[in-house]
Amino acid sequence: MIGRVLIANRGEIAVRVLRACRSMGIEAVVAHSEADRESRAVLMADEAICIGPAESARSYLSAAAVISAALVSGCDAIHPGYGFLSEDDAFAEMTRAHDLVFIGPSAEVLERFASKAGTRQLLAQQGLPVVPGSEGMLRDDEHALAEAERIGYPLLIKPSAGGGGKGMRLARTARELQQALTVCRSEARAAFGDDSLYLEKWLERTRHVEVQVIIDNYGHGVHVGERDCSVQRRHQKIVEEAPSPAIDDATRIELAESAIRAALAAGYRNVGTLEFLVDGEGRYFFIEINARIQVEHPITEMLSGIDIVAEQIRLAAGEPLGYGQEAVRLRGHAIEFRINAEDVRADFRPQVGTVEHYVPPGGAGVRMETHLYSGYEVPPYYDSLLGKLIVWGPNRESAVARSRVALKELLVDGLETNIPFHRAILEDPTFLSGGFDTNLLDRKGAAAFLDAVSGAAEA
Amino acid sequence: MTEEAARGAPGNVAVDRAVDLDALTDEILPALIARLRASRLAEIEVRDSGWRVRLRRDLRTARRPSRGHSGDTHGPESDDQEASQTRSPAVGYFSPAPGLVVGHAVTAGDTLGSVDVLGIAQEVTAPVGGIISAVLAEIGQAVEYGQVLAEIDPLGGEPGNGDDGAAVDGAAQAPAPGGAAAPTPEAAR
Repeated sequence: MIGRVLIANRGEIAVRVLRACRSMGIEAVVAHSEADRESRAVLMADEAICIGPAESARSYLSAAAVISAALVSGCDAIHPGYGFLSEDDAFAEMTRAHDLVFIGPSAEVLERFASKAGTRQLLAQQGLPVVPGSEGMLRDDEHALAEAERIGYPLLIKPSAGGGGKGMRLARTARELQQALTVCRSEARAAFGDDSLYLEKWLERTRHVEVQVIIDNYGHGVHVGERDCSVQRRHQKIVEEAPSPAIDDATRIELAESAIRAALAAGYRNVGTLEFLVDGEGRYFFIEINARIQVEHPITEMLSGIDIVAEQIRLAAGEPLGYGQEAVRLRGHAIEFRINAEDVRADFRPQVGTVEHYVPPGGAGVRMETHLYSGYEVPPYYDSLLGKLIVWGPNRESAVARSRVALKELLVDGLETNIPFHRAILEDPTFLSGGFDTNLLDRKGAAAFLDAVSGAAEA
Repeated sequence: MTEEAARGAPGNVAVDRAVDLDALTDEILPALIARLRASRLAEIEVRDSGWRVRLRRDLRTARRPSRGHSGDTHGPESDDQEASQTRSPAVGYFSPAPGLVVGHAVTAGDTLGSVDVLGIAQEVTAPVGGIISAVLAEIGQAVEYGQVLAEIDPLGGEPGNGDDGAAVDGAAQAPAPGGAAAPTPEAAR
């Protein structure tokens, strides 16, 4: 049993995990950096403990500081949230060595799925189709060029240790590839401490569709359907929805069932997400597993009624899943909007400052996941995510209609946010048709979206 | 919680069983209040056989004024105050050095103790030279990063000048006594 959890994260996810703990009767201690002393999670916590300076490497990324904080504050488990130490198998191992429960997959499971290239091979063996790519990691430039010749251009260069679309680059020719390799290596080394790269065929006009799985320690698991995260800006998700508007029901079921089957067979455990690219013909290709809770998990919660964070905690404590696939029922349509502190017109430049006023929206099917409050100062050290607006409706049309109302109501004053951009996306005919790919925003350009709406308002 | 809590008065005191109430109210509580105020913690809880005390304060009210304060007019002054505080370099268990005693003279860089982080000792050093005016953590105590462990009076004079954030709060919200009082129970021993 888990009685007291150390939350080793910040922002909206720290608040989200804290709420899950409370609803389960578990005490929550929030570990925070000096810059997050007045964050909402800290103010809400049963206890808060400062683990280091603003710099993540010495606070949220310091395994020793996090584990020491858990020990001195009497916790018996650590929830790593997403990012930071969430998929670090060495950290999970260290956590266990100190008799603490790591809320996530075990160290062995994290290690098995740590390499993206390795995971691709592993799941291909379990029958999942994968995007054509390099055999294992690239040894050197020569190897890269030979593999590229075999796979064919255009190609995506990906860091094996990466995540969240960071450090990826597109190469259309051998020359571009050669130039990009050096940059990619140094970027990957800086961002992830590991410069191993692999290549993947770049499929034009694909959608990003992912399947949520929940698996206990004893090999019983379910899928909770798919999420469509195709509205992206330079590989960063901005709007997510479930179910995917682009695949038919037969494909939907086949995709989800093959995902859970392969994840079980490959030995995946706890909560996770299998990401796929889906092309225009409905063919899907596995790309990677995210061995953590994801930013966009709430849309799946809205459809299923399952508290995925609570499941994560329960299963990490060793409880059996206790239900089968037939118990998972998905209803309606949900959309998530990532609210970022950024100036969309200035190339999405992150913004810092004080939130003068924050007024959340309400109404049927409307949910806010955020750490904002009026007077909150957005620190400059971390990512620009201020929160997520999640809207549910019985179908896509009603979810869109409710989203328009909610986005009009949502007020974040004092700094630039992408709320107007979200409003504009909801007026875009391509988005509304559901027939878009991951390049929708980049092809058209953010300014065009915003101009389209302001033009309409003036007319 | 309001001003009272901000000044370090107990927001919530729970005594499980009757103990020597005089000792609790006259010695233990003032010492704990001083410690809470000196720290950046929102809450501390102390248990002993038969009793348990929990002190809590509202960091929003306790800290806001100090930030603006140190930010503008009294910048240099608060820098001095900052400098006289010896803060924990990590989160872990504190072990004082033998020389960490009120009234002892130290020079900048002296080792005042260590914080044990998973078995590895992180040294606590004096940021300035002077006379130790307060010791705010004891052997084996769990401390967080940045927590004030000791105060050094750089001039070797009036105790209380080298107070911390809590004192700054006092100065911003109400005149001096709140600030000067903090280290006294420790220093008087």
